[in-house]
Amino acid sequence: MSLSERVLLVRLRERDEEAFSHIVKLYGDRVFNLVHRFIGNRSEAEDIAQEVFVTVFKSIETFRGESKFSTWLLRIAANHAKNRIKYLARRPGVGAQEVDDEATAAQTRPLQAHMPAPDALMEAAELGSLLELAISRLDEDQRMLILLRDVEELAYEEICEITGLPQGTVKSRLHRARLTLKALLESHTR
Amino acid sequence: MRAHDCDRTQAEFSALLDNELSDDDRRVVMADLAACPLCAAALEELRVAVASLGKLKQGAPPTFLSDVQNQIRVRSKGRFFSKRWLLFGRIPFEWVSLVMILAMLAYYIVMMQSSPTGVTPVP
Repeated sequence: MSLSERVLLVRLRERDEEAFSHIVKLYGDRVFNLVHRFIGNRSEAEDIAQEVFVTVFKSIETFRGESKFSTWLLRIAANHAKNRIKYLARRPGVGAQEVDDEATAAQTRPLQAHMPAPDALMEAAELGSLLELAISRLDEDQRMLILLRDVEELAYEEICEITGLPQGTVKSRLHRARLTLKALLESHTR
Repeated sequence: MRAHDCDRTQAEFSALLDNELSDDDRRVVMADLAACPLCAAALEELRVAVASLGKLKQGAPPTFLSDVQNQIRVRSKGRFFSKRWLLFGRIPFEWVSLVMILAMLAYYIVMMQSSPTGVTPVP
């Protein structure tokens, strides 16, 4: 852990508002991105991401510094996101897998990924939407592993700390997740 | 030389993409890829898919910080992230009460010294 991170943590433990705001600015995008990709619903993701930082503010004493702060933070985010999925699944009429409009729209235009795109930006947006849709079709465990490794680009050690899985399991499940994702992308672009 | 087995080769793709293969295993996989265009194409597709995932970054909404601060302010009943009190930050109730107690104690001591019985002597 770097010196500046240690100083920041000391200030956080003292409930220093400025230090906390700095942490939110520093990690807000990552937490939001992870949660949003996992849940697939923007407003739920905003709510969960806020909840993650409230939890950090409340329970910073429980962080013992055995892992990187970002790993601890992402573990909280992953747990909150998983719990929300369970909660949403129990509520009638609310789909836990409900994906954003953009991704849903992509499902209705699957051929365009192989068609000549009018411009590169649109093509990139299409690909992004297709990926989002394919990710939402993965099962929870596979989705989390894909997000942690290939979207957040975390090391295997960090992924093991976040998921609580042994490295061999992470690697084999990630491999299967990538193959499933590839197959899903192919099925949408065919 | 061993016979080519697509399943066996493709089982190593993730490890290959993550640079997790030993030099020997890597050499074997590369030789398999050179010999099998199907495996090479499958690897390329997987590589493109994985590389695209790295570009899926989405920032938090612009109001995210203030939303989080607001949540904490509400839940802490204004103890944190409340509006600043003039130029001095939030009202330091702990210090205000300490000063009040000390002031009352000082007043009591002064009063006791001037009139220990609490009764003002008649001149």
